[in-house]
Amino acid sequence: MASVLEIRDLYAGIEGQEILKGVNLTLRQGEIHALMGPNGSGKSTLAYIIMGHPHYEVYSGDILLDGESILEMAPDERARAGIFLAFQYPVAIPGVTVANFLRQAVSAVRGYTAQKDEEGPVGSNLIPMREFRKELTEAMQLVGIDPSFARRYLNDGFSGGEKKRMEILQLAMLRPKFAVLDETDSGLDIDAVRAVAEGVNRLVGPELGVLVITHYQRILNYIQPDRVHVMYDGRVVLSGGPELALQLEEKGYDWVRQQFGNAVKA
Amino acid sequence: MSVKTATTTQFSAEAVRALSELLDEPGWMLDLRLTAWRFFEEIPWPTGTEETWRRTSLRGFRLENYRPFVPDVLTEVEAEADLETIYREHLAELVSAGELVMDEGRAFYHRLDDTLAAKGVIFTDLHTAVREYPELVQRTFAQQVPLDANKFAALHYAFWRGGTFLYVPRNVEVTLPFQTLARLSQPGAGGFYHTIVITEEGASVTLMEDFFGGERGFHAGVVELYPGPNSRLRYTHVQNWEPTLWNFGTQRIRVPRDAEVVHLIASWGSKLSKVWVTLDLVEPGARGQLLGLYFTTDHQHIDHHTMQNHRAANCSSDLLYKGALKDTSRSVYQGYIKVWPGAQKTDAYQANRNLLLDGRARADSIPGLEIEADDVRCTHGATAGQIPEEYLFYLESRGLDRPTAERLIVAGFFQEVLERVDNADVRRKLETTIAERLDVDVADLGLEVDNNTDHNG
Repeated sequence: MASVLEIRDLYAGIEGQEILKGVNLTLRQGEIHALMGPNGSGKSTLAYIIMGHPHYEVYSGDILLDGESILEMAPDERARAGIFLAFQYPVAIPGVTVANFLRQAVSAVRGYTAQKDEEGPVGSNLIPMREFRKELTEAMQLVGIDPSFARRYLNDGFSGGEKKRMEILQLAMLRPKFAVLDETDSGLDIDAVRAVAEGVNRLVGPELGVLVITHYQRILNYIQPDRVHVMYDGRVVLSGGPELALQLEEKGYDWVRQQFGNAVKA
Repeated sequence: MSVKTATTTQFSAEAVRALSELLDEPGWMLDLRLTAWRFFEEIPWPTGTEETWRRTSLRGFRLENYRPFVPDVLTEVEAEADLETIYREHLAELVSAGELVMDEGRAFYHRLDDTLAAKGVIFTDLHTAVREYPELVQRTFAQQVPLDANKFAALHYAFWRGGTFLYVPRNVEVTLPFQTLARLSQPGAGGFYHTIVITEEGASVTLMEDFFGGERGFHAGVVELYPGPNSRLRYTHVQNWEPTLWNFGTQRIRVPRDAEVVHLIASWGSKLSKVWVTLDLVEPGARGQLLGLYFTTDHQHIDHHTMQNHRAANCSSDLLYKGALKDTSRSVYQGYIKVWPGAQKTDAYQANRNLLLDGRARADSIPGLEIEADDVRCTHGATAGQIPEEYLFYLESRGLDRPTAERLIVAGFFQEVLERVDNADVRRKLETTIAERLDVDVADLGLEVDNNTDHNG
């Protein structure tokens, strides 16, 4: 049965400042939803809160994965439960290679532990090297990353486009149920956007639900959403089909402001 | 061998004589020991006001708590067979050109590759070298670290016992590393290992030394490296003493024309450690790297005091010391670059980076520069900081729990130093010690992914 990620009447913020003011959104495995909105509407806050960033506070409402609240879960537990966030600004970790990082992550998410015999653990808690290498090579090919990146330090000295593609590589390796792509298109030229989008398209299918967070419509030329939501001042104010994205492109966010600005202020 | 108890339980001139007699040494060595003893008596105990001792306190250290040496080490140690098993397990981790295993300063396992021996390579314990190669030893022993270098060096020279002697003749290049295991097995004893490495012109060699054991003990060691002109010398010093041992070390390297040295110290163990490392670049074209790793826990206190002496033109030195600190531990790094008059075209770097894994840990960095030439390039820098929360969140969002994420970041932090170790076996051995220090199986650090492509085995 398809899994469901449900955001229910979520109020949340940071350091006492309310940013999300009653967000409702339901995403099913196999669906692609786009979440659009002007800067400062709370899109990235929502992404961080879904992943469990410790700096954000949830005041009320809930996030449910197949009916179970995930709010009490640490970020690593959420990852193991099948939630993934492609970061807008992935961090660089010098000294940690892409390959080692991914091997650690894949092993953690899939719950590898060492085999045991009478004398204790045999082997390591990591996915066997041979199996991992094969999988990594395939995934790199799929998302269009040169194999030499496996030995480079994670995001260290990577271009904007390389960092974003690295996020998609992680998505490919970790095989979550739900992926939130936070402004994956930001800061990229059109070729890079297309390359990243192609990577995402190769991963979508009945096993993956995707929430594409974006300011611009252009990435949606490549990733076709089933549903489009518009966020404004901490709430989802509009939802519709793919045509809504085109409408926004045409009319701009001022149109949303005019329509919903007053209502929200009240 | 009968030696009066009192002479072996206290540090004294009588104890010096008793040790020399026990070791059946030539007269010149006894004289040297007695001279060193006089220096030891003359040099005052550090009071804490001296610049080098301002941040490292000897409170709680009492010399009279330790025996200067263990006369009957043969009967006191476990059966040799047992020891040999332990050491063979340690040695098996590294394919080497030769191995030397010592306990309480006494060598009891020793191997040197036959073809290297035939080429004139000498790899033995220092006592054997004193007997069999007196000219070589007299030419080098105490020639770089003088008898009165500091209080602990003086004590070392009075009571030195055991150590490595490695000599590589002209143009002989040894690819595989040599390995020494130096243990102190007797609780409460003093240890005084001494290392000498000589490479003649055009030679090349790697030595890795592992120091361990020493429960409730104390160690005062000296390392002297003598690379010849246009030679390459790589030295790795792994300090893995028990956490109840007080460690003092004086290490010095003199680099002549066109020679290249990489000196690495990994300070994992001991209760308190104070080590001076001095690099002297004395002729044009000399190059030296000083590398350091430390990971302190509990109440550990690790102090490195380095000196990069540029005495000739066209020399380069590059220092990188990186440490991670946990609990209430503390590290001190004092480093000095000195460019002497006339040392033009000097290239000198110095960096000390500290990762604080606990708000209670403390890292002090005191860099210094003194430049008396005008055409030089010198940079230095020191940092201390915690793991950025964003790093941890990023790794956690990929399913790693916090301890695993921290371990990965710390191992990555050390990687910058490890990648400068060009011998894959030595690097692997260092990774093993890092994993031990991080309390994780080395396989779980996953570093084999990185090594895989450059491993020939």
